[in-house]
Amino acid sequence: MSILLKLKKVNLKYQTGKDTIKVLNNIDLITKKKETISIVGESGSGKTSLIMLIGGLEQATSGKIFFQDHEITKLNEDEVSAIRKKNIGIIFQSFYLIPNYTAVENVALTLELNKFKNPEKEAKLLLDRFGLKHRFNNLPSQLSGGEQQRVAIARSIAMKPELILADEPTGNLDTENSLMISDILFNYVKEEGSSLIMVTHDPKLANKAKRKIKIKDGKIK
Amino acid sequence: MEKSNNSSEVNLIFKYAFKDLSRNYKKIISIIITLFISLFILSAIFTIEDSLKKELNDNAKALLGGDLEIDYNRNEGNLKLVTKVKEFATISQMIEFSTMVATINRDKNKSLFTRIKTVDEKYPLYGTVEYEPEGAFDRMQNEPNTVLINESLSKTLNLKINEQIKVQDKLFTVIGIVKSVPDVSGFVAFGDWALAGKQTLEILKLNGIGSFLNYEYKVKFNENDDEQEIEERIENIFKDDQKVKLRYPENSASGLKRIINNFSQFLSLVSISAMLIAGIGVANTLLSFINQNNMSIAVRKAVGFYSGDIKILYYLQLLILLFVVTTLAYGSSFLIVPFVDQYLSDGLGLNVLPVFSIINFIKIFLIGLLVLIIFSIPTINSIDQVKASNLFRNVFQNLEFYYSKKSVILSFLLLSILVLVFSYNSENPIYSIGYFAAFFVCLGVFFLLSKLIIFFLKKFRSTPNISLKVSIKNITQTKSITPITIMSLGLGVTLLLTLALVGTNFKREIAKSIPNIAPDYFFVGIQKGEKEKFETNIFEMDPNAKVEIVPMVSSGIVKINGINPNTYISSDNDSYWVIGSDRRSSWVNEVPEDNPITEGKWWDLTKSNELQISLDAKVAQDLKINLGDIFTLNIYGREIDGKIVNFRSVDYRDLSINFAMLFNPQFANNIPHEYLATTKFKNIENFDEISMLEVLPSLSMIKIADYLNKVTSVLNKVFMAVTLISAVTIIIGLIVISSAIMVQGKVKEYQNLVFKIIGFTKRDVILSSIIEFLIIFNSVILIATFFAVIASKFIMENLFELVWKFDFKVLLTLGFSIGLVTLLLIMLTNLKYLNPKVYPLIRNQ
Ligand SMILES: Nc1ncnc2c1ncn2[C@@H]1O[C@H](COP(=O)(O)OP(=O)(O)O)[C@@H](O)[C@H]1O
Ligand SMILES: [Mg+2]
Repeated sequence: MSILLKLKKVNLKYQTGKDTIKVLNNIDLITKKKETISIVGESGSGKTSLIMLIGGLEQATSGKIFFQDHEITKLNEDEVSAIRKKNIGIIFQSFYLIPNYTAVENVALTLELNKFKNPEKEAKLLLDRFGLKHRFNNLPSQLSGGEQQRVAIARSIAMKPELILADEPTGNLDTENSLMISDILFNYVKEEGSSLIMVTHDPKLANKAKRKIKIKDGKIK
Repeated sequence: MEKSNNSSEVNLIFKYAFKDLSRNYKKIISIIITLFISLFILSAIFTIEDSLKKELNDNAKALLGGDLEIDYNRNEGNLKLVTKVKEFATISQMIEFSTMVATINRDKNKSLFTRIKTVDEKYPLYGTVEYEPEGAFDRMQNEPNTVLINESLSKTLNLKINEQIKVQDKLFTVIGIVKSVPDVSGFVAFGDWALAGKQTLEILKLNGIGSFLNYEYKVKFNENDDEQEIEERIENIFKDDQKVKLRYPENSASGLKRIINNFSQFLSLVSISAMLIAGIGVANTLLSFINQNNMSIAVRKAVGFYSGDIKILYYLQLLILLFVVTTLAYGSSFLIVPFVDQYLSDGLGLNVLPVFSIINFIKIFLIGLLVLIIFSIPTINSIDQVKASNLFRNVFQNLEFYYSKKSVILSFLLLSILVLVFSYNSENPIYSIGYFAAFFVCLGVFFLLSKLIIFFLKKFRSTPNISLKVSIKNITQTKSITPITIMSLGLGVTLLLTLALVGTNFKREIAKSIPNIAPDYFFVGIQKGEKEKFETNIFEMDPNAKVEIVPMVSSGIVKINGINPNTYISSDNDSYWVIGSDRRSSWVNEVPEDNPITEGKWWDLTKSNELQISLDAKVAQDLKINLGDIFTLNIYGREIDGKIVNFRSVDYRDLSINFAMLFNPQFANNIPHEYLATTKFKNIENFDEISMLEVLPSLSMIKIADYLNKVTSVLNKVFMAVTLISAVTIIIGLIVISSAIMVQGKVKEYQNLVFKIIGFTKRDVILSSIIEFLIIFNSVILIATFFAVIASKFIMENLFELVWKFDFKVLLTLGFSIGLVTLLLIMLTNLKYLNPKVYPLIRNQ
C-alpha cells in the first residue's frame, strides 16, 4: 500500500515568555492510504498539536512532514491551503459551523471552494445521508449538538478528501450521539476509501480504528 | 484551464461577498449611514453645482442679453461705431441708472434709492421677460411716464399696480410687476429695481456720477452669420476705442460662477471632512465586525481559503456596499435640486434642472473608495492574525489594527492622492491644501490628546470614589473608545466652533460700523450749484447734523507710466477694480483723519498747476506702483498726466468718505465736478427724505442702515446654511461614537453584570458614565476652542482682513449644547446595557 503521510523527526516548541515548552519530541510517523488511526493520550500530551501539524495549520519547529509527494513543511501558507482544500477534511470538538450560514450553506462552502458543479445539491444529498433531511435550512443555533457535528462532518468530507482529521469529534456529545457520529465516520471512510486520523478519549471509539497510537509527553509510545 | 479556474474563483468570491453582505448589513448599519450622509452631501454639492452651471451656460446668451455686449459704462459712447455694427447686426440699447423713487398720496410717504433699467423695443434679444398683467410691457414702451417694478420693490414701498410714484420730480404710473428678466448678469439680481421705456431718459435729469449711469449695447448676430467672423469684425471696429468693453456669452454671470465655485469648494471640503470622520468609524466598526467573524474566518482558513482571498472578500463587500450607497446618495441628491430651483428662480429667474453626470458619479464613488480603503487597510490586514489553529484551542484572540510598513505607506499614498486630486480640482487649491493640512494636524493632536489622557489617568488610579475609579478604568482600558470619541468629536466641534466664531465676528464687524463711525446717509449727485441748498436744507431739519461734503469727479486710468494697465494687470488682481473702469476721485486740503499717509509727502503747493495724486497704499502695492510714477487719467474726455506723490492707508470699511485716489485741490478745483456728502444726524427722525427730494429732485440718498440690514440678512442666511451643513460633521461624529459604544456592547453588558453582582447600584454606573464623558468632553472642548480661535483669527484677519475678537458667549452656548446632545446620546446608547440579563450571559461565558 502506498504511503499517505510521513513525519520525520518532527519537533514542536512553544515559546511563552522566557520558557520554551517542548510539545512534540522527535516524532516519526508513517501512515498509509485508507488507514484508520486513533490517537490517545492524556490531556496536554500533544495530540491536538500533532493533528494541527498534519493539517498544515501549525508550523513545525523542526523536522519534515510529507503529505503524499508534497513536503508541506517547505510550503507557504497559501500552498498548504491549496493542498488542504482538496485533500484534508477537519472535524473539531466544538463543531465550528459558520453561525449565520444554514446547514446546507455550511456544507456547500467547501464544495464550492473545490468547484463542484451543484454544490447545494451535493450538500443536500450528503446531509440527507446523515439523517438531516429536515434540517437543511436551519442555522447552527437551531441544531442540537449531534446535528451540528453531523453537519460539520458533512462539511469536512464533502469534497471526498484523502484524509480526515478529527480532534475529539464526540467530546462534546452524549453516548447516543457519539455512537452515531462514529458510525457515520467509519462507514464513510470504508465506503470512500479515505484515511482517518482521530483523537479520542473514548476507548471504544479508539478500538474501532485499525491502528492505535499513544502519545505521552510529546512522544509516540 | 488555468484561466477558467481563475474566473470561477472570482465568481466564488463575488458570491460569498454578496451573501455575507446581505446577512450582515445590520451589523454594519453605522458604516452605511455615515457613508450615506457624507456621500449624499458631496453628491448634492456636485449635482447642484453642475445643474446651476449648466443652466448658466445654456442661458449664457440670455444672461448676457445678446451674442455680444458693448459696454460703455458711464458714457453714451461712440455712437458712430455703434451705428457701424448696426449695419450687419441687431442692436438693443440699454441704459441703467439709479435714482430716488418715492410714493405719493400716503400719510407718510417713503422713498427708496432704486436701480432703473430702460430698454428699447428690441429688448430682450434672448429669453423672455416675465411680467403681469398682460400687455404691460408694450404699454411701458409706448406710453411715457410708465414703469414696471419688480416684486421686491413693490413689497418695500408697498406699491400696487396703477399706483402713481414720483421718480425725481416726475410722476410715473406703475403699470405692472416684473417677475424676472433674462439678463440678470449685469444687473442687480436681488434688491429693488424697475424697468422703463427708453423715452424715460429724456424725462429725467441724470448726471454722470450720482446716477451710476451705465450704457450698454447688446448685439444679436444675423441667423446665418459666422459668429467668429462677426465677433472679429466688431472687435476691429472698436479696436481703437479705449473706453469700450466688449463682453461675450462665456463671460456672462462670471461673478455668479465664481461664487458658486467658492461655495462648492468650501462645502466639498466640509463633506470630505465628514467623510474622513466617518472613516474613523468605519475602521472601528469594521474591526469589531471582523472580530465577530473571527471564527468564520478561522473556519474558512481551515477549509482551505487563502488569507488573501478572505481579505479580498471583505474589500469586495466594502466595494459593493459603497457602490450601492453611492448610487443611493447620488440618486437622492437630485431631490435637493427642486429646492435650490425654488430659491433661485425667485430672484434670478433661473430654472435649475438636475443634471445627471456619470463623471460626477464616478468622482464621488472614487472619493468614497479612497476614504474607505485608507481606513480599512489596517483593519482588514488584521485578518492575517486569525489562525485556523485557534479552532482547536477554542480561544479567539482579539484582533487589533495591523499597521505594516507597506500598509502605512499605501494608506499615506492614497491619502495624498485624495488630497492632491481634490485640491487640484478646486477653485483655490492653496486654500484646499491649507484646509487639509489643518484638518490632519487637528486629527493628530486629538489622537495625541487621547493618548495623553489615558497616560495620565493610568497614573491616577488610587481614588476612593468608586464611580470615578470605574470611569477612569473605562477610559484607560485597552479597548476603550476614548481615542475614537476624542478624534471624531474633536474634529466636528472644531469645525463648528471655527465657523461660529467667524460668523459672529463677521456680523459684528458689519453691525458695529452702523452706530459709531458710519454716517446715516450717503448723498450722491449734488450738482455744483446745489451745494449750498443741500447744506441749508440738512441743517434746517437737524441743526446738529454732521455733514461731510467733498467734490467728486469720475476718471479712468488710461496709462500707468505710458502703458495701458489693462495690458499687463490681470483681472484677478485684488486691485483690478481701480483700473477696470472709471473711478470716482476727490480732493482735500488736509490729510483725512482716518487716512494716514504711509509714504511720501502731502501736496507740493509750489506745483499747483500740476496734477498730484495720493493713492491707496494697498492699491499701490497690488499694482506695483512707486512714488513718482505717472498716471494718465481721462477726465471728461481730456487726458491729464498726474504724479503719484504719496500713499495713504485707506480703510473702506468705516463707510465714511474714502477714495482710492485723491487730487491736489489747487489743481483739481478747476475740473468740472459734483459733490458727494455723508451725514450723521443727531435726530434722524427730523430728516425727511421726501421734502429733501422736493428741493433737490435729482439727489440720490442711500440710507446706510437699510443697506447694511440687507447685507446682514443675506449674510445671516449664508452663515445659517453653512453652519447647518457643517453640523453634519458633528452628526457623523455622534454616529461614530454611538456605534463605537455599541461595538463595545457585549463587553459593557458583561462589565455591568459583574458590577451588579458585586453590588453596584445603577446610580453608580450612570454616574461613572457621566464622569467618563465629562473628562473626555472637557478636554475636547478645550483643544477645539484653541484650534477654533487660531483658525477663525486666521480667517478673519488674513482672508477677510477684518478685526477678530474672542466671543466667549458663542463658544459657551455652542459647546454646552453640543455637550448636552452628546451626553444624551451616550446615555441613551448605554441604557441598553444597564440592565444585563444574568443567565444568558453566564451560560455563554
Ligand atoms: N500556543 C501555545 N503556547 C504555549 N503552550 C501551548 C500552546 N498551545 C498548546 N500548548 C501546550 O502544548 C501542550 C499540548 O497541547 P495539546 O496538543 O492541545 O494537547 P492535547 O490535545 O493532547 O490535550 C499542552 O501542554 C499545552 O499547554
Ligand atoms: Mg486536545
